[in-house]
Amino acid sequence: MSKGKYKNGKKEKKILILSILTVFIILGSFVFHISARITEEMSNSAITNLSESLNLIEGTVEVLFEREAEYQQLIAEGLAMAENPEEFILSYGRKGTVIKMSLIFSGETSGISSTGETFTADGLDFSGYAIGNLPVSGSYVNDMGAWAYTMKCPVYRDGKETATLYIEHIYESLEATLPDKLYNSSATLYIMDSQSERFLLKPKGKGERAAGHLNLDDFYHANKIWETAIQKEVADNIKQGQNVMFYHEIKGQDALIYMWAVNGGMLYLIGYVPIESIQREGKAVNQNILSVVIVMLAAFCLCCSVYFIYERQQEKIRKEQESERELHNRQLAEALQAAQAANNSKTTFLSNMSHDIRTPMNAILGFTALLEKDAGNEGKVREYTKKITASGRHLLSLINDVLDVSKIESGKVVLTIGEFNLSSLITSVDAIIRPAAKDKRQTFEVSVTGIKQERLIGDETRINQILINLLSNAVKYTQEEGHIWFRIIGLNQRSGQYAHIRIEVEDNGYGMSEDYLKVIFDAFTRAENSTTNKVQGTGLGMAITKNLVELMGGSIEVKSEEGKGSLFTVELELRIAEQDTDADFWKKHKLTRLLVVDDEEETCRNIQYLMKDTEVSVDMLNSGENAADIIYEALAEGNPYHMVLLDWKMPGIDGMETARRIRDRVPENLPILLLTAHDWDSIEEEALRAGINGFLAKPFFVSALKEKITEMQEEDNAFARKGENDAEPVSLEGRNFLVAEDNEINAEILQEILSMEGASCEIAVNGALAVARFAEATLGEFDAILMDVQMPVMNGYEATRQIRALEREDAGTVPIIAMTANAFAEDVRDALNAGMNAHISKPVDLELLKKTINLYIRKEG
Amino acid sequence: MKKSGRILPLAVAAAAIAIGLAACGQGTSSGINLAEEEKAEKNTVNLFGPMEKSDPDADNIARAAHELTVLMAEEKLGVKVEYRTYTAEDYLDKTYDEVIADRVRSNMDDIYLLNPDGIQILGAEGALADLSGLECTDNLRDVVKIANTVNGKLVAIPQEVVAYGLFLNKDMFDKYGLELPHSPEDLLECCKVFKENGIETPIGANRWWLECFVLAQGYADLYNGGNTAAEIEALNNGEAKYSDYMRPGFEYLKTLIDLGYIDAGKAYTYEAIDGEGPDFLAGKTPIVMAYWGAANAETAYGKTDFNMQVIGFPSSYGQMPVVSLSGYGIGTQAEHLEDAMAVLGIMLTDEALTVYTKKNQVISPSKNVEVQCVDALKPLNDRIDEGVYVLGSNAGMKVEQWGNICLIVRELLNGASVEECMAQFDRLQEQSLGTK
Repeated sequence: MSKGKYKNGKKEKKILILSILTVFIILGSFVFHISARITEEMSNSAITNLSESLNLIEGTVEVLFEREAEYQQLIAEGLAMAENPEEFILSYGRKGTVIKMSLIFSGETSGISSTGETFTADGLDFSGYAIGNLPVSGSYVNDMGAWAYTMKCPVYRDGKETATLYIEHIYESLEATLPDKLYNSSATLYIMDSQSERFLLKPKGKGERAAGHLNLDDFYHANKIWETAIQKEVADNIKQGQNVMFYHEIKGQDALIYMWAVNGGMLYLIGYVPIESIQREGKAVNQNILSVVIVMLAAFCLCCSVYFIYERQQEKIRKEQESERELHNRQLAEALQAAQAANNSKTTFLSNMSHDIRTPMNAILGFTALLEKDAGNEGKVREYTKKITASGRHLLSLINDVLDVSKIESGKVVLTIGEFNLSSLITSVDAIIRPAAKDKRQTFEVSVTGIKQERLIGDETRINQILINLLSNAVKYTQEEGHIWFRIIGLNQRSGQYAHIRIEVEDNGYGMSEDYLKVIFDAFTRAENSTTNKVQGTGLGMAITKNLVELMGGSIEVKSEEGKGSLFTVELELRIAEQDTDADFWKKHKLTRLLVVDDEEETCRNIQYLMKDTEVSVDMLNSGENAADIIYEALAEGNPYHMVLLDWKMPGIDGMETARRIRDRVPENLPILLLTAHDWDSIEEEALRAGINGFLAKPFFVSALKEKITEMQEEDNAFARKGENDAEPVSLEGRNFLVAEDNEINAEILQEILSMEGASCEIAVNGALAVARFAEATLGEFDAILMDVQMPVMNGYEATRQIRALEREDAGTVPIIAMTANAFAEDVRDALNAGMNAHISKPVDLELLKKTINLYIRKEG
Repeated sequence: MKKSGRILPLAVAAAAIAIGLAACGQGTSSGINLAEEEKAEKNTVNLFGPMEKSDPDADNIARAAHELTVLMAEEKLGVKVEYRTYTAEDYLDKTYDEVIADRVRSNMDDIYLLNPDGIQILGAEGALADLSGLECTDNLRDVVKIANTVNGKLVAIPQEVVAYGLFLNKDMFDKYGLELPHSPEDLLECCKVFKENGIETPIGANRWWLECFVLAQGYADLYNGGNTAAEIEALNNGEAKYSDYMRPGFEYLKTLIDLGYIDAGKAYTYEAIDGEGPDFLAGKTPIVMAYWGAANAETAYGKTDFNMQVIGFPSSYGQMPVVSLSGYGIGTQAEHLEDAMAVLGIMLTDEALTVYTKKNQVISPSKNVEVQCVDALKPLNDRIDEGVYVLGSNAGMKVEQWGNICLIVRELLNGASVEECMAQFDRLQEQSLGTK
């Protein structure tokens, strides 16, 4: 998503949230307003209701008072008519609300009560209020222990006041006239005497039981009504007999406090009711509104949440799709880049190849032209031919590498697994590399340590290719007189069936840069700098090597430092082949004791290690000084050495001198072999003179020793035959071949080569003609058939199969040798499978061809 | 997500409709007559008791404890207990005891909370019902039964045994290097030191409880000398004179007044705690007298800023607690006699007394209920545990003690001589003997 889009999205969200908030605020304000109005209306209504209730109580009490007054007046009238007022009084006991009735005749200070006691009006204050037109006393606690009041009424007889009637009532009588529950008993109600401000009555069932109060001050105190203004307002109103109602907090609740005047302010109904109780209905309505609003808001919020979640989900999906698209685009871009890089690489490669191919091709064509010009000059012809051959070989190696890479890249490389001997492998590699190193005056050291098994199973050709690649690179990229180390190291086996081998190729050559190390194993790369530019190559060798190593399940690593050299390490695990079980070999050849004389202790120990399982006792000497004496002593002791292995180069006396000294002391039948990594040819003569029987190439292998022993044995036994064999020429003279070759030039070249060797041939331009020609031929007319593979009409494989199928005596035996540009192992396998005897890859190596032909012709012969 | 996106709004709508319908359905009446039926009235029992002046910020533990037992009775019996109260605004008003006596005689209420003198007087008049039939009486301590049995009837049972003692500001005693007093002489010495150090009135007193000095000194030997019954018998038959027992205490009070250790004028008008309490709490007065529960009640001395200790009154037997037994009585002619009996029966069970005692941390009248007292009360409690105390009232004595001594002490406060006061005792004794 672009920044603009993101910003827009945020803005939209903000607007949406603001809109929702606005809706909430408007709705909230509306609900609040409605609620406030309802509360206010309900509150007003409640105040009205409360006022009405208090008015009702007030009215009830006042009616009661009036009834009492009327009653008293009636009694007074009765008394006026009574003949004996005292008896009349005494006849009234305690009746209804009347507690005591008393009469004092005018002019007297005491009178009689209905209880029979003497009555005086002392202590009764009638100066305050009146009920109806009867004065009423202030409140007092009477002889019943109850708050009481007394009304007095004059008794008139004949229009003259003759006495005063006093009737006492108690306030507790009012209880029955008061409502049972005021605001569901949440309201309190007291009756206060306004003159004394004493609380006279706390009617039962009218509020909290524990809230007993003594007087108005105590009421203020208990309810924390400290405000002077309120107290003054209340006092003023009470003084004037006015009603008072005000809000105040009582025990943590807002409450409405009321002080309601009764009988013109003689008494006050005092109490409070919590607002909550007054506004109960309003509160219920508000709660219902609130519930509805909350439900609606919750539903709204939920819908919004669902919408948001849905939107978010959609956004997520959109983002996922976008990121997926981005990923695809990136992958496509990467693929494009890779393709471009590959294309570039291949362009570079083609450019390189063009250069690399053109260079030898130029040489070939150039020297061919010179050859034509200087055909008469034998020296120059030889020189030109050599250079043409070298250029051709280089060209061939280029082609082979390209083909290998092509096969590897297309995954068509198949390993040809078979048994091989490590000793032979190393020997052959040594044979190839050593001369090259020698040409550059480089020291080439081969060492083998820790190898238990020599016979292994693997693709010998490919391992050989790996080693040659690594070593030839080492030679190439090491300056003259440099050092190259080739180490074969047996590692601890991870499995009993597999040998774990490490191959190290180290040199002290030019080394590589860190950058190049990163791409060294990539195809089409080649280290280039001023030092190495002169080294020619395809840049495919290391890629091929790595691929082959990995194909074998191994690993390859490289360490290098510019100007200091490189170290390639290859680790392979190769299956162990069934070892030579010829346990009696050593006994059979009477070799049970062996002396090794070598200044390199490691070599000695390695030989001991390798010979451990052979029951041959191996003794070591680090110099040749005492070798003769020791051998002699052993002989004298009857425990002679049966063979001596002598290192050639040793400090002090060398292998030659040691051999001479041994020969001076012991008989000639003790075989002495010279251990050397050097070329035997150059020292053979001197060695033979010194009494040395033969040489054994370093590094030491048991199999090589056995082979040497066998060879020596055979030489001894068949000396005569050896001479005969040596005389046999490797020649094709007089031979006649059938050549199946569609390429005219190749056919001509082959014809020329064979004719140079004194042989003849007949060309068939496709397989079918070859089959037909062989079918017509007389027996023995052709010594062998040289068969190209890729031919029109019928290929070489099919032709071979048809030839082998012919009903001729020699159809199954005539040697058929494949001669093809299909040079891979599988091509060899296919050729053999088709019935051919051997495979020679093009371009044809004449010596190889001669050897191969001779081998098969001799076999057949 | 798409699925839930569709389901949620539907669920919300369904919930809203359900709530709406439920709300609409509430409160509708199916009948035609909308008048509420009056519930059957519960039986009511009227309880008359004193009322403390309200303090909005104080937790009245005693009232709360009492309330719990009342609630228990209401719950178990299905009755309603209604309160009626009276408290004198000042000394000019009728006293609570006077009012309650009038109310009992006039059958104004059902249950009354009576002071010891009220119990004895009203009991003797036969105005109070016999409570010995209540089950709880089996568990009562003997002292309760002795004090409140009048003419063979157990006329009142308290929810707590009230022990009076001297409440001391121990910090002030420590400040002046004073030991807590044991004998009357010790107390005089302490007061002397306080006075010398500028304490104007070392003993804060009210018009109710100074009699404890008299009772402690007068009856220390009677109740602790091992000859209680014989001595009371001697008093009842006139062989011994109350005035002889009372004289040392009155003379002692007179000394305290004369030396200015007690302000007689103030004491004569002061209501209990309301008068002298503020000075004691403010650290102006080191000694006051009060009842056990005052040490727990925030409305009294339950929350002091100083180290308070409660000890017995000084006597020849050392610190002497004065045990006074108030109690709940029921009027013989009570309108709701049966319900009142049932209510008291519940309020005085061990279960209810345990609740009351735990809440109020007082001495229970039941032998089966014991609660650990607060630290301040330990000296007083130790003496009671030892069995050393005097009774403030004894229904076995023909002359009522608690009320009469109180009134006569007031006369002393009002300027009467010790001899005049003793003459009052003699007169009372003669009345009780019917010799005059």
